[in-house]
Amino acid sequence: MLMSKRSRFLTILFIIMLTAALLSGCSQNQSEKSPDTSQPAKPDETIKIGTIGPLTGNIATYGLSTKNGVEIAVEEFNQNGGINGKPIKLISEDTRGEQTEAANAASKLIEQDKVVAIVGGVISSETLTAGPIANDAKVVMISSSSTAAGVPEIGDYIFRNCLSDEVQAIQLAEYAVKELGLKKFAIMFTNNDYGLSLKEAFEAKAKELAGITAIETYNDGEKDFRAQLTKIKGTNPDALYIAGYYTEAAKIAQQAKDQGLNAQILGADGFYSPVLLELGGNAVEGAVFTAGFFTDDPSENTQNFVKVYKEKFNSEPDMFAAQAYDAAMILLTAIKNTDGKGGEVLQQEMAKTKDFPGITGNTSFTDVGDAIKDIIILKVEDGKFTKLR
Amino acid sequence: MNYYLQILTVIMINSILAVSLNLITGYTGQLSLGHATFMGIGAYAATLFTLKLHLPFLISIILGASVAAFFGFIIGVPTLRLKGDYLAIATLGFGEIMKNILLNLEITGGPMGLRGIPKVTNIYISAVALFLVIFSLNRIMNSRVGKSFIAIREDELAAEAMGINTTQFKILAFIIGAFYAGLAGGLYAFLFRYINPKDFGFMKSIEILCMVVLGGMGNTYGAVLGACIITVLPELLRSISPVIAQYRMVFYGLLLIIMMIVKPQGIISAPSSNKKEYKNSLEKGGQ
Amino acid sequence: MFFEQIINGLTLGSTYSLIALGYTMVYGILELINFAHSEIYMIGAFIGLTMVSVYKLPFFAALLISMIGSCILGIIIEKAAYKPLRKANRIAPLISAIGVSIFLQNAVLMIVGPQARSFPSGLHITTLNIGGFRISTLQLLILFVSIILMVGLHFLIQKTKLGQAMRATAQDKEAAQLMGIKIDHVITFTFAIGSALGGAAGVLVGVYFDSVDPMMGFFPGLKGFVAAVLGGIGSIPGAMLGGLILGLVEMVGAVYMSRYKDAIAFAVLIFILLLKPTGLLGRSVQEKV
Repeated sequence: MLMSKRSRFLTILFIIMLTAALLSGCSQNQSEKSPDTSQPAKPDETIKIGTIGPLTGNIATYGLSTKNGVEIAVEEFNQNGGINGKPIKLISEDTRGEQTEAANAASKLIEQDKVVAIVGGVISSETLTAGPIANDAKVVMISSSSTAAGVPEIGDYIFRNCLSDEVQAIQLAEYAVKELGLKKFAIMFTNNDYGLSLKEAFEAKAKELAGITAIETYNDGEKDFRAQLTKIKGTNPDALYIAGYYTEAAKIAQQAKDQGLNAQILGADGFYSPVLLELGGNAVEGAVFTAGFFTDDPSENTQNFVKVYKEKFNSEPDMFAAQAYDAAMILLTAIKNTDGKGGEVLQQEMAKTKDFPGITGNTSFTDVGDAIKDIIILKVEDGKFTKLR
Repeated sequence: MNYYLQILTVIMINSILAVSLNLITGYTGQLSLGHATFMGIGAYAATLFTLKLHLPFLISIILGASVAAFFGFIIGVPTLRLKGDYLAIATLGFGEIMKNILLNLEITGGPMGLRGIPKVTNIYISAVALFLVIFSLNRIMNSRVGKSFIAIREDELAAEAMGINTTQFKILAFIIGAFYAGLAGGLYAFLFRYINPKDFGFMKSIEILCMVVLGGMGNTYGAVLGACIITVLPELLRSISPVIAQYRMVFYGLLLIIMMIVKPQGIISAPSSNKKEYKNSLEKGGQ
Repeated sequence: MFFEQIINGLTLGSTYSLIALGYTMVYGILELINFAHSEIYMIGAFIGLTMVSVYKLPFFAALLISMIGSCILGIIIEKAAYKPLRKANRIAPLISAIGVSIFLQNAVLMIVGPQARSFPSGLHITTLNIGGFRISTLQLLILFVSIILMVGLHFLIQKTKLGQAMRATAQDKEAAQLMGIKIDHVITFTFAIGSALGGAAGVLVGVYFDSVDPMMGFFPGLKGFVAAVLGGIGSIPGAMLGGLILGLVEMVGAVYMSRYKDAIAFAVLIFILLLKPTGLLGRSVQEKV
């Protein structure tokens, strides 16, 4: 009674129809090939790379910056003749920041589009889900922002090009105590892998060198930090280390000021975005933080990147864009050196990368595929970022 | 794993979720907005049984589902006294509380989640699981227990007057539904090899509810159909053309509205001995 | 410090109340959880921001225009997505509402981009120091505007003919219709008022946190809904009370256990529901046989 033959039949029919539609949809996608590449080429002569990341949803801002960074790198290569004459085609897939979608996106890029390599994912949970799929398929994947522990350890084919949370936090704690003469630290951290690993490292180092007065937490997307800040204010710290991203960091700094908490604001590479200045205004003046990239860096590479980015996307690049650009440059250079072969050959070439001169410093990889980079320290002065060290 | 096989596997897992929510919402008439919680509990429990106690896969996911069923009982006993939308919001509340706890416990890895889960789930395992779930569910629905569930949905007062202990049966529906959802969670964990509290939040619960309503409430095959559509739709929009891919969530929202306006009772409307009566009871709602 | 926390909690709570009113009014009449309400709140904030930053209007003019804009949006949503479903079962409009929410959120995301923007209200904000306690004038303004709006609503519902019609419809739709009340007009009007309050809340919160983004509706929307249920869904004083309580509870939670802040807010909700299954001020509905 509950499952009439008709409805059972309908269901099965529908599943078949959907699968068929999916199949045709994908093959159709394969047939309409890149009209945007500069040189006319037969479809099988293009080299395809993919990106995965959130292009829609609440963390789309990180995914879009990443995609933009990769786009510029691809364009740069294509203008210089692509991979030994073959144009590069970039396919960007959206994950909405969700794991299931990240896994599907990675599978689609690998199986359907047959990409040589993938830049992504953007947030750690994506990379931890999509990574094993890429690794099993022997497709190189390089994430430019998944800072969680265990990402490069997924497998040989998984690389990572971002600053180590631990090193950043330790260097900043040392700098704050020795150079800025700060003694009492409070910490606000965002309750995710990024915030947590920064907080652990900073807490340990600051305790060793000076003292910690309070540790409070918040969630990404929140806007009201007054309760935590009022509590922190009661412990009277010299400095407030905000382990999180710019949108929330700007609000925290502002609300701290409103509450009369006069502490030196400290942070990490999550601070580095023009949005910090726009949202934070006066409150972020004097903030000191670690970063791997600086838009006003006089080097030609950096200035070129910033110029192209502004022209193309009408906004200032942030650290996501810069790290993604470098990740793509490292990847494309390795693809070029191996003539677009991919797989094991590409993996070995990637692992050999040493002191790659990028806009986020010189990059080498450790044995597991994690980046070793220089860390710079920036400060907000007169509503602009300046380099301290 | 092949792209299509992977999507098919996800469809199977989502179907189990939809079918299990359909038992609670479609058959028994209790609106739940926290079904993903049970999936999450099942996923975490199964993973921990494997990672910490080194139990084999099959035992882990069954134990995981049992833990979810136990939580179904714990959550069900106090909340099922509430009616209609109050029940809905209480289930939502429990979902958020569980997510918050998963985010802050040491053993669940906090926001880092749990990784290093072996890959076991494949299309065959999930297909067998879905088959077993539907088979057992049909047996339940054809028994006295199932008839009592439907009696509660059709008219709770009348059911009580007929001597059905409505609270007990509502809790039972919750426990069975939670067990199946926990099973789906276990399969999910062993498919994607990484779990994180964010996966089991309010939006996932809403997604499961959409599957049930879209397919047709109170119909197991409708729930399966709804799961297919909700799983495939975003992927389909992804592959049709890059322009649509960019706007796919906009289309997704629009399609939900249009589908409801065109066919508010879902694609496969629920069979009932007396359709008009059934419709009336839904209009009256949980009261 | 304690006093400051109370003020923080009340300010936050008063915005929850404004959002909760939209949920509760619609629920009172249609028994529909209008999930799109959180998006009306978000779009209200964006309208306000556009008025202030592009057209350089003063803050209160922007607030008013945003309320009118949200009002129109609310009416359109009702006509397009809910009215065709009035005869359907109860869950279909719920799914339709979720569809509207997903649609609006992503449409705005496509138009303005995901980045948060600051809200230059042009207001002079100072921090008052009353006997060692710090209150910002902005907090006072938000409390003040919220109270004015709520008092206005109360007057509208209790003293005007339209309000009478709304109350009658909420009590018994069919009887109201028999008495010559045009139900469709009442429903449209309810959406209009609820949406205007939601839009106002969006602008106030946008100014309060000096930040507006396409995803800003999700959490406050959920909290507003919780506040409505806490106070007894369908009850207007209940929504106001529920919002304030939720704001205070969250503030206390953030102070003592910031990790479990959201869990505490929801635990209080469930606790209250268990003690009083229809919320604090909700009418207990008699079951009809």
